[in-house]
This record gives sequence, structure tokens and C-alpha cells, in this order.
Amino acid sequence: MTIASGTVREAAIAAPPPAPAATSPARPRKRRQLTRNRWGYAYVAPFFLVFAAFSLYPFMYTAWVSLHETSLSNINGGTWVGLDNYRNLLQSEFFWNAARNTLTIGILATVPQLCMALGLAHLLNYKLRGRTFFRTVMLMPYATSIAAATLVFSQLFGREYGLINTMLEAVGLQAIDWEAGTVSSQVAIAVIVTWRWTGYNALIYLAAMQSIPGELYEAAEIDGASKWKQFLHVTIPSLRPTILFTIVVSTIGAVQLFGEPLLFAGNGTTSGGSSGQYQTLGLLMYQQGWSNFHIGQAATTAWAMFMIILVIVGVNAVIGRLRARADR
Amino acid sequence: MATVSFQQASRIYPKSERPAVDSLDLQIADGEFLVLVGPSGCGKSTSLRMLAGLEEVDSGSIVIGDRDVTDSPPKERDIAMVFQNYALYPHMTVEENMGFALKLAGISKDERATRVREAAKILDLSDYLSRRPKALSGGQRQRVAMGRAIVRNPQVFLMDEPLSNLDAKLRVQTRTQIAALQRRLGTTTVYVTHDQVEAMTMGDRVAVLKDGVLQQCDTPGVLYDRPANVFVAGFIGSPAMNLVTGDAVDGGVQVGSAVLPVPRDQLTRAAASNGKVTVGFRPEAVRLTGPGEGLPVRVNVVEQLGSDAFLYTSLADAPDDVLHSADLVVRTEPRTPVASGQQLWLGTDHGALHVFDAQTQQRVD
Repeated sequence: MTIASGTVREAAIAAPPPAPAATSPARPRKRRQLTRNRWGYAYVAPFFLVFAAFSLYPFMYTAWVSLHETSLSNINGGTWVGLDNYRNLLQSEFFWNAARNTLTIGILATVPQLCMALGLAHLLNYKLRGRTFFRTVMLMPYATSIAAATLVFSQLFGREYGLINTMLEAVGLQAIDWEAGTVSSQVAIAVIVTWRWTGYNALIYLAAMQSIPGELYEAAEIDGASKWKQFLHVTIPSLRPTILFTIVVSTIGAVQLFGEPLLFAGNGTTSGGSSGQYQTLGLLMYQQGWSNFHIGQAATTAWAMFMIILVIVGVNAVIGRLRARADR
Repeated sequence: MATVSFQQASRIYPKSERPAVDSLDLQIADGEFLVLVGPSGCGKSTSLRMLAGLEEVDSGSIVIGDRDVTDSPPKERDIAMVFQNYALYPHMTVEENMGFALKLAGISKDERATRVREAAKILDLSDYLSRRPKALSGGQRQRVAMGRAIVRNPQVFLMDEPLSNLDAKLRVQTRTQIAALQRRLGTTTVYVTHDQVEAMTMGDRVAVLKDGVLQQCDTPGVLYDRPANVFVAGFIGSPAMNLVTGDAVDGGVQVGSAVLPVPRDQLTRAAASNGKVTVGFRPEAVRLTGPGEGLPVRVNVVEQLGSDAFLYTSLADAPDDVLHSADLVVRTEPRTPVASGQQLWLGTDHGALHVFDAQTQQRVD
């Protein structure tokens, strides 16, 4: 006993007191941690190498290009113009047209898409026969190539022999020249986007719904809530973080919308219709860089799109933060 | 306030051969506190959920008051339920949680606030009305769940193991509070638990279920003193009743080398099926006797509880066929000088023996 306690006391004296260790200069400590965790860093390194090569570098390079007046064939040359490209962009009516189109198509696509996804997820959450089949079918549009889907849809929306116009005429309505009109073309494009992404979002909602405890619904049922009230007061509030997530993802997708408007006319022109009625920012960028050979201007547009996304995501994050704080 | 009655109510889950609840017949008086108790899978929760309307009734009927509610949805039954995991709405405050049913019922905001505040006062929740469930302790959440039930002033309270998520000490405290609250409100209550101590302490009457079949429904006293069959005898009481099975011989039941004395006519009737009789005696109905007198046992473990002590023993000369049921528990005065490994002889108090037919498992008086 005495020997043991003596040893303990000695050890306590010999050991450095913890406080000075904490205040010792930060650098050696950091380095020590770096070496101690070297395998951790080694394992995450591949991701960051790939990220640096294929995301970070192009990203910075785009910023660099956007400060030059140049074309794709001479991408490393060109003349330094500073922020001229940005000034031009903000003064360009094409940019504002494309921005407006992107916004309206985005709203036309995202809002119904998420609402429908929510409803579908709710239905799929019931005990259905052949549930797995329906869930797989939900994901099919997402797995389809944009080009193939858009070509099919542009046939459906065709002016002369399109299925939709045929049906409109069959019920006594006027045929619509979908591609020519501003609203009609944007609606048509929004339909394609909605068709493609609704199932994907529905599955995300479904996954979140399945983590809501069944007892909550039973409690609500006993409290006298109808199915609709249960959806409103139990499902929706529980899905709030997921809904926020899908809004962010869909918004990013909407800002970058490119394939559908490009292929909608069936000929792959970047003008977005005869009067640019459905030219999105993505199309405008492509037109600037690849049709008009102003890659510097295109890089500027790309950066503008990135800034728009950044602002939208930032606003969403702030809203989410505020809601979370209100919840506490 | 209302009576509740189960009439031959059965529930058979799809793809299952055995009914989860088998022809349950139960009459619950107005204002009564009835406890459904049994081991897991006995159908007690299913019975409660049938009464709540959360589970279909495959045959038979359920009546609340004078209304047959067998096919009514939950909201038309005028009941309130407390769930095991409380099922509080996580995004609502305590006040909103408690007032949700009233809001759905279209009751005015002022009336709602009054009733919620009243209930909160009873449950000592007044300071937490604006909190969300996440910010409450387990006991507080449990009380919110209770509050959600009482603000509605329903005809029947249904409680599904509401205490099982509390720690042992809080559980004992809360169980008294719930029982007191129920007496005060006078609302008919059906309470499900797997804990027989909870059942005995809280219920006016206790219904014991096993494999979907009602075994016995009576006051705690009768359940304890006159269990209807071997299952109830073994389930009610802690530590459980000692049960041994042996051949009927002249003067009693042969257990090992000893004979437990059973009156002749009782013995004859109990042994009628196959000549074997199950005898039960409670730990407190056992005396330590002198050497060579009564059942010889060996002490395995001594449990000192302070107020009393329990000896866990096994028959010293147990033949193979009684070995499985040969753990005998004896309650003695605390600080009895008994050590494990020691050999003792046990005698049973007169009239303290419960006699069962070993074949049918039914009580014989």
C-alpha cells in the first residue's frame, strides 16, 4: 500500500502540469497533430486532389479567363481587360433576358416539381401493393438521358403533329405554338424539368417520411386530425430540413439549366428561340463562348451564375438558421 | 365518463394463425382504473389499440358508454391516449402540443389557453408551456403526454406503458401521481403495463393476459390471494410464487423426499387429470423448520434488502423431473444468519398452499 501510494505521488510530481501544456506555442502542437493524424489525411487526400484538379483549378482559371478578352482557340493569350467583361455583362440586355428566363423557368419548374414530389412521396408512403415497383418507376425519368427525354418532349409539344396539340384540338381548344411563345415555351421546358426531377425529389421526401415515428400519426389521429391535417401538422413540419435541402438542390439545378432549352427546338441552337424567349443563363454562356467566340465573356457569365447560386444558397441557409433558432 | 366493454373482441393479424387477442370479454365500470398486464406479446397493447381504434376488430365488438364503437375511427370515440414514447409533436411547444386536439375540435383560442393552463397547473408544467419537447426532461415529457390527454376531458384514458421510459425512481413517483390524478378526475382508465408491480399498485382491477387470452380479471388482492391458474400465480407477486409439481400421494403432494400436505378432497380433484398436482406457496408463506422436518433445501443466494431477506434455494434431494421448477424463494426476517450453501428445512403455513391441476393448470379449491 505505502509503496503504491508513494509511486503515485512521485508520478504526479514528475508529470508536467497540464495548464502550461495548453498554453504552449500553437505551432509545435499543430504539427504534432498533423503527424499523429497523418493516415487520416492520407486517406482523405485523394478526394482533395481530384477536387483541386477538376473543381478548384478550373474554377480559379475561369475567374482568370473572365478578366480577359479572348476566344477558346487562344485561351491562354488574349488581352487583359480587367472587369470590362463584368461591366458589359451587367449592361447587356441578353444577360438580363437570360436571367429573367432562368428565373421564370426555375419557378415554373421547381415549385410544381417539389409540391408534386411531396404528394407522390406521401402516396408512396402508404402500404401499397407493388410498392418497390412504383418506387423504381419514380426514378426512371432521372435515369433517362436529358437529350432523349427532351427530343421526345419536343415531339409532344410539336406545333403541327404534336400529341398535346392534337389533344387540345380534340377537346375543341386552339392549338398552341409551344416553341414560339415566351410563356408557352417556358412552360414546356418547365414540364420537361419537372418530369425529370419529380421522382428523384419524391424519393428523398419518402426516405425522410419513413423516419417519422408512426406513433406521431396515431397520436394525431386520436387527437382528431384527418389525414390531410396529419400531413399538414405532422409530415410537413418533420420534413422541413429535407424540404430546404431539395429547394437548394433544385435551385442550383434551375440556375444551371442548359440541356432542355438547348434541345427543345430540336436543332441545338443556343439562341433559345427566335427571340431568345427561352434562352437561359447556361445557354447564353454557351452562345458567348462557343458561337460568338468570346470565351472571356462566357467565363464572366459562368461566374455570375455561380454568384447567383451562392446568394440563393446563402439566403436559404439564413432562413434555415432562423427557423432552427425559432424552434429552440 | 363512461363504461367500456369488450365483447368477444378478437384481433387476428394477417398471415398469423393464432389470434393476437382471442375473444376478449371485459367489462370496465365507469371511473374504474383497469390495468391490462402480461408478458410481451400477450395482446395487452393490441387490446388497448383496439379500444383506441388504431387496430381493427376482426370479430366481436367494443362498446364505450352505450355506443358501439367497433367500427368508429379514433376521433369519434372520445378517448385520449398516452403513448409509450409519448409521441409529442416535436415542432410544437408544450402549450401547442396540449392544445392541438382542442384546436382541431374548433375550440376558441381563449378557451384553449384556459384549459391548457389548468392542466399544466395540475401537472406542474406551467413554467414550460413555451418550451419544445426537445428541451424537456423525460419526466416532463411524460407529464406533457398526460396533459395532452387530460385537457380533452375524454370519456376514457388509454395509457400504453407510459412509465417504461422513466428511470426506476421516477417511475415509482409518477405511478402514484397518475393513480392519484385518475382518482381525482374520476375518468375511466385502461392502462397497459408489463410490470406486475405497477399493475398491482395502480389498478382498481387487474386483467392478466397471456397469448391473447384473458386469464383472470379481479382486484389486486384477489389476484394475489386466489390466482385462477398457474400462470397468474407465477406472474403476480415479486419474487414470484414458488411452484412445484409432484405426484399426488396419500396426505399430499410428493416433492422430492417430502410430502406437502394437501386436504384429501382438494387433492383428489386436482389429481383427477393425470395424477400430478402443482402446488404453489408464496415466499412469505414459508417458515424455516427444524432439521428433518419439511422440505430439505440448499441455499444458493441470500438477498439482503434491509426490510427483509430473500433466500434463493433449490431442493436438496430433487429428482430430475422437478429440477426445472425447483427454485424455491423464501422470505425471512432480515439479518437471519443464513449463508449460501447451507442446508435448511422449509415448512409451509397452513392454508397458504395454492393447489392446481398439473394438467389443466387451473386452480382447485
